[in-house]
Amino acid sequence: MKSSTHIMVVDDEETICEALMAWFVKDGYKVGTALSGEEALKYLQENNIDIFLVDVKMPGMNGIELLSRIKEKQPEAAVIMMTAHGSIQTAVEAMKLGASDYLCKPFDPDALSLLMERVMMQKTLQKENIALKERLLEQQEEAADVFIVHSEPMRKIFSTVDEVAPSSAPIFITGETGVGKDIVARAIHLRSQRSYGPFVAVNCGALSESLLESELFGHEKGAFTGAMKTRRGRLEMADNGTLFLDEIGEISTKMQVVLLRVLEEKRFLRLGGSRPVSSDFRLITATHRDLPPLIKEKQFREDFYYRINVITIHIPPLRERQDDVPVLADHFLKRYVEETGKHLEGFTQKALEYLISYPWPGNVRELRNVIERAVVIARGRIIGTEELKFLDPEKLPCETSSVTLEELEMIHIKSILASCDGNISHAAKKLGVNRSTLSRKMKQYRLTARN
Amino acid sequence: MKAKQHISVEDTHLDLIPMGRIDMTAVSVIAANLQVILGLNTQILPVQPEPEYAFLARRGQYDGGKILHALAAISDGFPFRLAVVSVDIFTPILTFVFGESQLGGKAAVISLFRAKSKNREQSYNRAAKIAIHEIGHLLGIVHCRTPDCLMGFSNNLEKLDSLPLRFCQSCEFEARRRLRHLFDKPGLP
Repeated sequence: MKSSTHIMVVDDEETICEALMAWFVKDGYKVGTALSGEEALKYLQENNIDIFLVDVKMPGMNGIELLSRIKEKQPEAAVIMMTAHGSIQTAVEAMKLGASDYLCKPFDPDALSLLMERVMMQKTLQKENIALKERLLEQQEEAADVFIVHSEPMRKIFSTVDEVAPSSAPIFITGETGVGKDIVARAIHLRSQRSYGPFVAVNCGALSESLLESELFGHEKGAFTGAMKTRRGRLEMADNGTLFLDEIGEISTKMQVVLLRVLEEKRFLRLGGSRPVSSDFRLITATHRDLPPLIKEKQFREDFYYRINVITIHIPPLRERQDDVPVLADHFLKRYVEETGKHLEGFTQKALEYLISYPWPGNVRELRNVIERAVVIARGRIIGTEELKFLDPEKLPCETSSVTLEELEMIHIKSILASCDGNISHAAKKLGVNRSTLSRKMKQYRLTARN
Repeated sequence: MKAKQHISVEDTHLDLIPMGRIDMTAVSVIAANLQVILGLNTQILPVQPEPEYAFLARRGQYDGGKILHALAAISDGFPFRLAVVSVDIFTPILTFVFGESQLGGKAAVISLFRAKSKNREQSYNRAAKIAIHEIGHLLGIVHCRTPDCLMGFSNNLEKLDSLPLRFCQSCEFEARRRLRHLFDKPGLP
């Protein structure tokens, strides 16, 4: 937008400064003027200038010197050199120092107009590029769940990620299902020198061998029935980026042989193809299986194992890092509160204790799903154990640990009545008492069948 | 915009000052268009001498800035003054200009020199457009990027000819607002 674009005119002739100022102000720009290079630099100290128009010939600091000083202080500023006596040598020198263009005074209105349009377009593209890169990084960080680091084991893992990410060495991530192996893989990619390249993930356990082969290598048109057009495979898509092969323990030994060759040669053929395709990618693999025993049983190749296992990162299950549970729970709560628009402020102490003590066989993925469900069914502002009842009820901690025996009895009767939908006979049977005993207790605690 | 039915000296908003040897029909066309398009009551003054003080021999042109300076210095007269010349005018930084004005000020000058065409109607049309554009600047309106707005910048005749003889909605609104504020006439469109 023009009104936010700041132009500075630097010329020792006041009439030129005034004329250009009048011109650009009419065009909607914010304009500053300076009669010397020194004055311009002083102005630059306190202002952010987008475009400079600088006269080449000035007493004291000339335009060429001012150009290089501007580029030192504000490299992204566009500098247009003006001169009444153009020389090719000066023009070349100016362009080498980073000038955007070179104009001879007086300007043709057409030429000045076109030049300003071009420079504005460049500035806009420059700003858009920076903004898009920042947004991409933000989105990638969000998508990677911002790698929650709280417990000591995770701090160590994070420290390892920081160390190994910049290299190109293959990384092998192990851990139970749902611990976040894919998140760690993404975090490594984001911190690597390939972060602006693609991150291509393949779940090897989800595809049959033939499908996996096609997915990884791509195929040429007509390679098989149904191959209507040429398709690039994931290996090719990962060029200059990171390839993440999840559940690598599920692939056949035949596929292991093929992949081993690709990893060594960095070249392969598409299915049905005859022309080799090159792809330079950084490999990250992951598995929940314990591979060394599989190697002994000849279900996994030792040479392939050593090829992919240059650096190993093991992510412990959530039950071994209980400190992470409240932090993760809070993170997921915030996410789902934003998604659903519900007004939820946190968890009760009991609910947190329950979450921490729960074994989480599904690890972080299970915790995420539990929190999402709790947010959806929550009626109040705080998530309590009520919203977590769908987990193993035997593990539900007693909410009445600080109440009297009488109160405990009342709560229990109330709970059983509710579960029997107010049917007193059924409730009495469940409680192991006769109906009249239950009725007497209900009268004592002022309970009704529906209350 | 409705034109006022009766023009009186008290109601005049703009002095139109022809200078040097000039086509007075063009001047009349300019006055009429300023009246109709902008609702500016325009008084055509007697022809003034060519602004020799503004002539720069090495360029063979007249400095628009000096003409503006002289116009602005006139102590009597009406709020706006527009000089019309048939000589070629320039601003120091450009090879030529069609017109020059003080943004939000009171003085403007336009030249018929580069607007000339073999087709007289086209010449008058161009003159009117340049005049209205410069008066737009006097009203404080900057160049507009909306296509087909007369406040769009024209750096050549082709562009000038393509523009209509009107502002876009936003510039029109702004022009009316400024005029109402300046002249505070309830009847002013």
